[in-house]
Amino acid sequence: MKRFLKIGILFFTLFFILEKGTYYLLDKAPKREYDKRLDLVLRGQMNKDLIVLGSSRGGSNIIAKQIQEKTGLEAYNLSYQGANVIFQDFVFKTLLKFNKPPKKVVLAIDNPYEFKNEPSLQFRLDQLHPLSKYNYINNALINHGEQNILSKLFCLARVSKLTFNKVKEPLLNPFESCGSRPIIKKTKKDIIYKEGSLNYLIEDESLKHLAAFKNIQTLCKANNIELIFLFSPNYHAFNSKFKNRFSELLLPENKILIYDSLNPIYKNKDYFYDISHLNKKGAKIFTLEIADFINAN
Amino acid sequence: MLFNSLDFAIFLPIVFILYWFVAYKHLRFQNALLVVASYMFYGWWDYRFLALIFFSSLVDYTIGLQLNVEQNKAKRKILLWLSILVNLGFLGFFKYYNFFVDNFVEAFTFFGTKIQPNTLDIILPVGISFYTFQTLSYTIDVYKQKLKPTNDIISFLAFVSFFPQLVAGPIERATNLLPQFYKKRKFHYSQAVDGCRQILWGFFKKMVIADNCAEYANIIFNNSENYSGSTLAIGAIFFTFQIYGDFSGYSDIAIGTSRLFGFNLKQNFAFPYFSRDIAEFWRRWHISLSTWFRDYLYIPLGGSRGGTWIKIRNVFIIFLVSGFWHGANWTFIVWGFLNALYFLPLLLFNKNRVNMVIVAQEKKLPSIIELFQIAITFGLTVLAWVFFRAETITHALSFIKNMFTVTLLKLPVVRPSYLIILLLLFILVEWLGRNQKYALECLFLKSSRFIKWGFYMLIMACIFILRGKEQVFIYFQF
Repeated sequence: MKRFLKIGILFFTLFFILEKGTYYLLDKAPKREYDKRLDLVLRGQMNKDLIVLGSSRGGSNIIAKQIQEKTGLEAYNLSYQGANVIFQDFVFKTLLKFNKPPKKVVLAIDNPYEFKNEPSLQFRLDQLHPLSKYNYINNALINHGEQNILSKLFCLARVSKLTFNKVKEPLLNPFESCGSRPIIKKTKKDIIYKEGSLNYLIEDESLKHLAAFKNIQTLCKANNIELIFLFSPNYHAFNSKFKNRFSELLLPENKILIYDSLNPIYKNKDYFYDISHLNKKGAKIFTLEIADFINAN
Repeated sequence: MLFNSLDFAIFLPIVFILYWFVAYKHLRFQNALLVVASYMFYGWWDYRFLALIFFSSLVDYTIGLQLNVEQNKAKRKILLWLSILVNLGFLGFFKYYNFFVDNFVEAFTFFGTKIQPNTLDIILPVGISFYTFQTLSYTIDVYKQKLKPTNDIISFLAFVSFFPQLVAGPIERATNLLPQFYKKRKFHYSQAVDGCRQILWGFFKKMVIADNCAEYANIIFNNSENYSGSTLAIGAIFFTFQIYGDFSGYSDIAIGTSRLFGFNLKQNFAFPYFSRDIAEFWRRWHISLSTWFRDYLYIPLGGSRGGTWIKIRNVFIIFLVSGFWHGANWTFIVWGFLNALYFLPLLLFNKNRVNMVIVAQEKKLPSIIELFQIAITFGLTVLAWVFFRAETITHALSFIKNMFTVTLLKLPVVRPSYLIILLLLFILVEWLGRNQKYALECLFLKSSRFIKWGFYMLIMACIFILRGKEQVFIYFQF
């Protein structure tokens, strides 16, 4: 029995020591990623005046560099393609934890999917896996059931198939220096402008999404951050029913910027990539609207 | 409590230390500790069903003692039937009640009478099929006077609820396991190390092979109407490895854990996918269940003695009951029926006992004929598993229909290369270890400690890195 315990302890101690070598791989993983924005956030290198949060609409429709030039505020885009409001809330919390709070936050709204369980909008766990060397991220992965609790002890348990999920630099819409990713690709599909009123059902809303949205507002208030909600153009009629519902959930001090729906440019398909995203030409015009709004307020 | 959980990782060392250090001097104390640990292990999932195991154990314990003193044959028979009725009554209620009600309703509807179904929202107690069969084996063996009944209730409770094999087997016979509770267990270093090795291999099979295969098998089976024949075929193969990795992995962990406590459980899987015919497959797959049915159902029915029709009847009964044991769904019954069809020609032509030893026992590689036989048997098994995995018979039939189209020759849409390589390596390790009780038993055993430990650490690293998304053990639902 003593021999069994001695050898068992020796084996596990040796394994415990050797497996720490995995940290070398974990440490390399964020460097291999094309998108290094969250890594910068975690390393406390995201101390900006203005931060843009959102999904691909935020990432491609808002050019942070242009806002910086027009407003004089140091701006950065932390929008993630396919990210839901829960992930946006997570990015924001992470930003506040490791960096000094920004003066302003622009939150690009996914009209009308912001509060729904929309399959195309997810909590981007794939963005977290390559950063699992950070305890903070590892804990988030544990909370989402992606990582075993043993990963608190074993580096090996932090490694998964998604850790080295290197994404190559896209040839057509790479990141700009301030984190935005305007679309320079030409659309393959012909898009048709849709008129008419659009519906919105409160029953479809998810409590988790609503809580995350509320949390972003609470955090801004607590940190004295000016929060601007942004409704970016879609290549179809504006969903005012969603807007009315959205207004009910707002704290009074927060501002809303809705794109100028009378501007004929937003009905011209030459400025769109698809019905939900502007191309770079359209994004420049829309970003100008945002910069003017910030300067005026 | 799941084997692949942190709870178990804490539970096992605590019980192990208490067992060998605190309770070591007194056998009854050791057995009592095992009962408490086993009830805790089970109660972790749902403590309400502990009463069911306790009651079931108490009934069989009492009946066992009564059978010992009762000399009247008729009364002995009544006692046996009482035990069978109580045990199968619980099993029938919890597992099959809704199935029978639904089918009665459908049958009445078919004949034009509409009746209101009265189904219940019943939770299936985990492992009920396993411990019911285990405790039944005790009463039957006592009735047949193959085993002396025990008057040590602690040992009996420990035998029924022994935590390593309580929820998913192996289904132990009272003749093998119960006497082990009477004797003082001694700690053997080599046995404990062997147990650890088997646990390690069990975890690899479950967390790497089964859980990874499950991810893709689920995608393909849940969207089978959208995939080509070749993708469906690869989905069926993934499920074939999932169920093997899952169930044999569980058995390995169970057997290995038992060895840590000084118990020897019977082998439950013996490399079934290397079988050269279906009869051999059934001698190698879920051995504890197959032999249970053989000894307590097939042989009492007459076995392979008697005329052709008796043989055919018995084969169909045993396979259909085996299918039904797995679950209250027609898909399991069809799976059993299909296996009976596979098995029947071998029995009728007296070829069912041709391949009694493992393939290529003295050689490194099988012959071309053996390889062909293995491929055919594997193919038939894969086809049968489609029924086992499908939600309904219609689903299984459409899956098979879509599989056997011209698209079977196309490149599959879902073809995770890492998993295919992993499966090939897994088959290689299993092949190398096919003469042992489990693949890892002797692999690198004679090598230096450096190589041996390096190999074990590599497997541990694979479990950590290559683990799939956690899935519940399939056989928990049975």
